[in-house]
Amino acid sequence: MGIVEAAHNVRVIGREGERGTIVLAHGFGTDQSVWKHLVPHLVEDYRVVLFDNMGAGTTNPDYFDFDRYATLEGYALDLLAILEELRIGPCILVGHSVSAVIGAIASISRPDLFTKIVMLSASPRYLNEADYFGGFEQEDLDQLFDAMRSNFKAWVSGFAPLAVGGDMDSVAVQEFSRTLFNIRPDIALSVAQTIFQSDLRSILGYVSVPCHILQSSKDLAVPVVVSEYLHQNLGGESIVEVMSSEGHLPQLSSPDIVIPVLLRHIRYDIAV
Amino acid sequence: MKAGLSTIQQTLTPEAAAVLTQSIGEAARRSHGQATPLHVAAMLLAAPGGLLRQACARSHNLESPSSHPLRCRALELCFSVALDRLPASAAAAEPSISNALMAALKRAQANQRRGCPQHQPPLLAVKVDLEQLVMSILDDPSVSRVMREASFSSTAVKAAIEQSLPSSSSSSSAAIAAAVSRNVYLNPRLHYPHGGGGGGGSSGADRPREDEVKRVQDILSRPTKRNPILVGDCDLDATLQQVLQRIRSLDAPSPLRNAQILPFAKEIASISAADHSLLPTKIRELGSSIESSISSGDRAVILDLGDLKWLAESPSGAGKPSLSETSRATVQEMARLWKHFQGNSRMWLVGAASSATYLRCQVYYPTLENDLDLQPVPIAPRFGGNNIHGNNAESLAASKALVGIGASGVLQRQPPPITDLSSRRTTLCPACTGSYARELSILMAKGLEKDSAKPEDSRGLPQWLRIASSSPLQSEEEGLIRKGRSEELRSKWSESCSRLHHEYRRSSPTLSNPSCVLNPHRPPQLNLTLSQTGDAIAAKQPTNHPDSSVKADLVLGSPGVSTSSVAKTHQERLKDSIGCTQDMFAGHRSAKVAGISDIDMFKRLFSGLTEKVSWQQEAASAVASVVMQCKSGNGKRRGRATKGDIWLLLAGPDKIGKKKMATALSELMFGTGPMVVNFGHSPSTFGDVEESNLSLRGRTLMDRIAEEARRNPFSMIVLENIDQADMLAQGKIKKAIERGHLIDSYGREVSLGSIVFVLTSDWLPEGLKSSYSSLIEYEKTVLDSARGGFELELTIGNKTGKRHPTSICYDDRPIKLRKDSSVSTSLSLDLNLSVGEHEFDKGRLTVSHSTSSLASDLTQLVDGVVMFKPVHFAQLQRDVVESVSMKFATTVGEGIAIRIDDEALDKITGGLWLSGATLDDWAERVLVPSLNQLRDNLKHEPGPRLIRLSATKRDQTRSNAKEWLPTTVAIAIDRDHDS
Repeated sequence: MGIVEAAHNVRVIGREGERGTIVLAHGFGTDQSVWKHLVPHLVEDYRVVLFDNMGAGTTNPDYFDFDRYATLEGYALDLLAILEELRIGPCILVGHSVSAVIGAIASISRPDLFTKIVMLSASPRYLNEADYFGGFEQEDLDQLFDAMRSNFKAWVSGFAPLAVGGDMDSVAVQEFSRTLFNIRPDIALSVAQTIFQSDLRSILGYVSVPCHILQSSKDLAVPVVVSEYLHQNLGGESIVEVMSSEGHLPQLSSPDIVIPVLLRHIRYDIAV
Repeated sequence: MKAGLSTIQQTLTPEAAAVLTQSIGEAARRSHGQATPLHVAAMLLAAPGGLLRQACARSHNLESPSSHPLRCRALELCFSVALDRLPASAAAAEPSISNALMAALKRAQANQRRGCPQHQPPLLAVKVDLEQLVMSILDDPSVSRVMREASFSSTAVKAAIEQSLPSSSSSSSAAIAAAVSRNVYLNPRLHYPHGGGGGGGSSGADRPREDEVKRVQDILSRPTKRNPILVGDCDLDATLQQVLQRIRSLDAPSPLRNAQILPFAKEIASISAADHSLLPTKIRELGSSIESSISSGDRAVILDLGDLKWLAESPSGAGKPSLSETSRATVQEMARLWKHFQGNSRMWLVGAASSATYLRCQVYYPTLENDLDLQPVPIAPRFGGNNIHGNNAESLAASKALVGIGASGVLQRQPPPITDLSSRRTTLCPACTGSYARELSILMAKGLEKDSAKPEDSRGLPQWLRIASSSPLQSEEEGLIRKGRSEELRSKWSESCSRLHHEYRRSSPTLSNPSCVLNPHRPPQLNLTLSQTGDAIAAKQPTNHPDSSVKADLVLGSPGVSTSSVAKTHQERLKDSIGCTQDMFAGHRSAKVAGISDIDMFKRLFSGLTEKVSWQQEAASAVASVVMQCKSGNGKRRGRATKGDIWLLLAGPDKIGKKKMATALSELMFGTGPMVVNFGHSPSTFGDVEESNLSLRGRTLMDRIAEEARRNPFSMIVLENIDQADMLAQGKIKKAIERGHLIDSYGREVSLGSIVFVLTSDWLPEGLKSSYSSLIEYEKTVLDSARGGFELELTIGNKTGKRHPTSICYDDRPIKLRKDSSVSTSLSLDLNLSVGEHEFDKGRLTVSHSTSSLASDLTQLVDGVVMFKPVHFAQLQRDVVESVSMKFATTVGEGIAIRIDDEALDKITGGLWLSGATLDDWAERVLVPSLNQLRDNLKHEPGPRLIRLSATKRDQTRSNAKEWLPTTVAIAIDRDHDS
């Protein structure tokens, strides 16, 4: 087993069919288990690659290099490292939240590795600006970071239902709380800071790979206008679908709505 | 947005556009609805002296000099066949451009843009030339598949095209980057897992990096792409300094010798971050000073850019956009500077960047590489010794054993002789030796393939890492890697051998094959379901199936953690398989051991099944756990892939139990009942609907299965009495299990989707046959008698009937049954039946049940075998007797006794069993009215009487499939008695 596979808990499942390879990239606060509802529908037709982002609760905290992961490029390098290591040719990347953006960054460097990117709940920028609505003010974020610093556990139990958009005792919230709480608090804070302060707007134009932008109609982290912004600014083809689901992790909380949409966007390309 | 053809044509050079037009023409000629990459490839190939054709020929000659000139012709034919297979469209409209072709055009465009020297507005104004079009067509999966069919490798062909390109942006010669590191994107921490960052180069600083320095020099002396940037995560500064030092020294080639080195990096450092806006001005000043220095003397200038992070790092202050306008301006200024001096070959740029920095530069300044003529040089991290695997646990073992296999095996590329293996300290059992040898040969073959396909490898590397010269070091490194891999393989096998077959060492022949016939032969259980528990490290089952353990190792977090538990469960399993006892099917084991992740789902299934089939609890649990394992991806694998279809064999007695289990499972999983195909000669227990099968046995049965599979890939299909299927069907089913698809009689392949196949069979392992036989016989008797069609009759009188009554009293019969349920029941039955037309001989029955080899074959193939226990009818019979007597007593009254004939008892029991009706219902509905009538009749004839309940054969067959039980009970007046 290669060190990359081991470090990222890489798993390759499903048939090596004609339909190619799908790489599923999870977002902040989760791990590859966030795809559990989706994976069974893919393994018939695709080779499916699952992995954990560095810093996720399931990875070795010793590998978390605070410098490397101070920007999203570090994660993009990791993604490329995995694709290289497994010698995965052009693949479909399904990226949730920050991983969608990470995939976009990686695709600028290596457009040859991606046939398309399915972006679920993605945002290039979380902070509001004069001409941009990202959904957060700097004070909001400062408060959030403070809360994470002072009492991680309490923050988790407050943040999870907000992000998922459900009751504290719903299964999805429980699940997200679990994976979120698995992260070492200092790593979680660093990752959250990196993500929430990131601004990828300026590079969207360099993305040439087709992007399918999927988004909940109600999402605390990503206002619907952000999807439109992505659509307007991505360099390549893109398509937006706003789903009737709620929350930032709809693949976990509303699989019945989201999985069919995801499958559709995975299977079909944008008509040109 | 729908791009018109003309828009697309505008993005292509005239040659490329012509090819596209031809391809569309070809599609139209063949009346295809869409022009695909296949059309384009066919057109490209058709041109006699065309680029693709030449490249194909070249690639093939490279690989094997013996290749025949007709090879290209074969390729053409393959494409033509592939085009023939495309569906024709009825519409006469102009063919549109397929998505795949559109994607290929886009890829070509993207590549073209990357290679373009000028900064261009995205998407426009870059024309795709023919080479790029060919290369991106070669990337198309459908094209490379066709090429593969004609034994061409599209990557090799691509490499051949790349080589032929004159001074292409990527590489000027065929050789590839000698990236010592296997993966340039790698997180440096993964090299130094416990070093805490460790990038400082402490390990390598003492040794000069001769090869890298040499490579940098080579780049510096090239006409284009001559500005090296060292990219890597360690030792950058040291290497850069070495290069500069070498240049200062006298052994550098002439234009470089005594070049003036301008430490631009220091200039930048001196400007504080706040003053970055000054940078462009600074650069302009620098330009003029270089100008003067070059023109004044004949000294060349090397501009030391230092670490490029000043370009890539965002200015501090989180709120701002990550890269300011000023850094863009800086880059532009740099580009202008370079353009100015580029021509006179007296100026160079050198610099360094971490992988992340370089990536960022690429992302934020997509044209930087071309604007500044930069050539990245990968600098690999170094390690102290030969140990290339870092410090993971296996490497210890591996390095120790290097002496062993390694000495001969480094470049030998042949599996070491097996005798050699077995003499070594860790002895492998023959099975594992074979598997090891097989995997090793595959590994070595892969190595060879890689060697022969070196030019391909260069495609795999990012464009920015491809440089001109290949270092001899590489092959050595690769040899080491290969050696290490083969060692890993060997230690893996000896480990799994010692784990699985440790009894081999004790040379106990009886145990050397732990997979006993009954063992469902489970694949490794990686707990790699998207598990709720989330522990990434969990190997809850031993890797029992040798072929797939490579995968297993790949997935588990860190080996060793779970070894003890693995060993333990394996012990349990061994015990099970030795004993061949029924316990091994028992559910309590499976759920725990199998690593079923979704315990809720398991519980739901289990309780649903036990509710319906309460008397087969263990079987229910086993069924639920097999299904859950398969559903969570831990089922038996087909090759490397997981599969969606589940194959479950319900074996043993209790037809009704199996039927109910299958039905309940189908309802729980799919919400509807299963589709049943009966291969047997006896009627289906699922009802009469399927009996038409009997006339359609064999081929058409398989067609029905295929049809159902095609119609609904989420359903259950029950293959009843599978052991009675004919040879043809048996073969097809076995193949279907192995391959995951069925082939119907028209030769069409039907994927099995997520279908759950439940096979039922009466098959029993030898060991259980004797102990179960009587019970099984009795089950058969009961079911046969219930099926036979009968009526019940109440007769009055002491006289025994025509049908050889058994003179047991109602109250001792059940006791006897219960007491002797295992053996002697059949004796009384034999007595009972001996009068009838069937001479049921114990021996004969056993024979008919015995050698069904199919079922025992199947146990090896299916995902799980669940044994059903024989039904003990004693309890049911006792209930019947009690209930009837009670009804009799309450209705007719005391003083009159009732006796139930055995035959009648069997029939009632069988009827109840088959129909699933409750006894009380039936007694109330059918028996009581008759008893009431009987009571009325008896009123006129006082005195103690004995009433018999007996069965009479009915002439007509049952009219209604649902009515297994008699609907009326006749009352016969015994004339003999009366008279």
